[in-house]
Amino acid sequence: MRENSLFRWILLALSGMVLMFIIAPLAGMFFHTGAADFFSTASESEVQKSIWLTIWVAFAGTLFFSIGAIPLAWFLARKNFPGKSIVQGIIDLPVVLPHTAAGIALLGFISREGFLGKVASAAGLDLVNHPSGIALAMAFVSLPFLINSAREGFASVPERLEKAALNLGAGQARVFFTISLPLAWRSIVSGFVMMFARGMSEFGAVVIIAYHPMVAPVLIYERFGSFGLKYARPAAVLFIIVALAVFVTLRLIPSGRKEKKPVHDAEAY
Amino acid sequence: MLRLTDINKRLGEFSLSGISLDIPEGQYYVLLGRSGSGKTRLLELIAGLDKPDSGSIILDEKDITRTRIQERRIGIVFQDFAIFPHLTVSGNIAYPLRSRRIPEKEIEKQVNEVATRMNISHLLHRKAEKLSGGEQQRIALARTLVISPRLLLLDEPLSSLDASLCDEMKSLLRDLKRRGQTIIHVTHDYSEAITLADRVGVIHNGRIIQEGIVDDVFNKPANRFVARYAGMKNFFRIDVTRHENVVRGVTSNGIPMKIPQGNYNGNYIAVMKSRDISVSTERPSADSQNIYKGKVTEISRSESGMEMVISAGDIFHAEMTMQEFLHARVCENDEVWLSFSPGSLIILDSGHTE
Repeated sequence: MRENSLFRWILLALSGMVLMFIIAPLAGMFFHTGAADFFSTASESEVQKSIWLTIWVAFAGTLFFSIGAIPLAWFLARKNFPGKSIVQGIIDLPVVLPHTAAGIALLGFISREGFLGKVASAAGLDLVNHPSGIALAMAFVSLPFLINSAREGFASVPERLEKAALNLGAGQARVFFTISLPLAWRSIVSGFVMMFARGMSEFGAVVIIAYHPMVAPVLIYERFGSFGLKYARPAAVLFIIVALAVFVTLRLIPSGRKEKKPVHDAEAY
Repeated sequence: MLRLTDINKRLGEFSLSGISLDIPEGQYYVLLGRSGSGKTRLLELIAGLDKPDSGSIILDEKDITRTRIQERRIGIVFQDFAIFPHLTVSGNIAYPLRSRRIPEKEIEKQVNEVATRMNISHLLHRKAEKLSGGEQQRIALARTLVISPRLLLLDEPLSSLDASLCDEMKSLLRDLKRRGQTIIHVTHDYSEAITLADRVGVIHNGRIIQEGIVDDVFNKPANRFVARYAGMKNFFRIDVTRHENVVRGVTSNGIPMKIPQGNYNGNYIAVMKSRDISVSTERPSADSQNIYKGKVTEISRSESGMEMVISAGDIFHAEMTMQEFLHARVCENDEVWLSFSPGSLIILDSGHTE
């Protein structure tokens, strides 16, 4: 009994240390930021524009790539094919790459000399130093979060349900949109939120593709480099608060749906 | 109606081999086999969820072996019901109708009709995932029947229901049978075959090892495996010797046993139904019977009365009605006489045992 209790205290102490490691720097930053500095920074148009740019570009990139990432996730969850593990490895690659290296790789692809850059340039769009280029950089490093979460979601849908739907006369597309997608929805939304959040916080790849227009992580870095810690802190605090607010709001969407489920009679249980 | 000809399908280490069946319109066919015997796989081939490697599936004189699943008009109710948990009961039943782009008014009418028939009208607006197993099964059945399938496939429809729900479901299935619905029902429980089937097939290791009308299969099992499925518990390895016209059988435990007339010589398996054994505390007089003295080692309730296990050199399982049991006044550890006629023994070639 005593041994159990001691073990529990050790676990609690270790867990507490890890939590403190995450909380302490953030709390320190908040405490060291004066209210006057904070509100002054929040009222700067450059800061507001930068945060808004970060949010909408990350959201647009996530939304755009979802169109291909979700079917790819379904494919990986349901189909077996030669080289599947290689494809899975390729998908996870951006997570292990240094993000500046990812930015360099992407720059070669989207600059005017690169394939996508040439195509975009022919359409009158220069991806480098442009929000669309930033969205690509954000998506490049954060796509695995959406694909992997959605793949797990699809894999957790019993295949029997899809078979039953086929037997009931539905085509593959109807089965996907009416059975697989709604049942994997929570995992997809979770992956979407993670991809979006990861995209918003990206610095390394984005700074290679576009220093301007300045997304929030680049703005914070620029203020730190030019004026030092004291000047960068209020911008960092503001961005963290906004990012947390967006993150929590998006996280609440699926759980909010759950709470709205109708109440059933006791006999059903 | 449905004709399967020499269906073969390899599934990793397991394979379905040489499956041929002919099921006329309106027949209730029960496919009996234990878990892993291939019965569900066969249903999936018939439904079109998978394609056979060779062989043909003919429905209403039309070859549907390669026909898309959506165009087969074969409904399947899975063992776990495969209810769509995110839809209401009504949404589940309407699903196949919406797949066929039927107008919403017509959908509503058909959903109400089938729900009334299945006695689930009161559940239509409930979320399907929160309902009991019995209710989910009715929904699954309603969802399949709403498209009036030519053939209904049922995968272990009674296995997850308690006794009272099981009786309800059986009467519902009998009602479907009366309405002329052609049904293939797979199960591991022989009693379902006895109570529902017009015809029964026994599948083992991916092959149909015996097929016929219920009485034939259960009264004349082709081998020990089928005999087990027919609820027979008395099995004896028996060595038959023939000297001139005298035939003598001895079990592997050295018990002499009179066997029915026939051209037997060598090793066989003798099987017998429990209810063919008579038990009494006094020695029976009929000389033509096999008569043994033994000790009752176990008494338990059975579906139709009481069952006892008697040790008499070999182990015998005897069954009697409650009235017979009360009259016999037999208790555990009592010494009793058991007897049976040689004609009640079914002699199987020992080479055909599983």
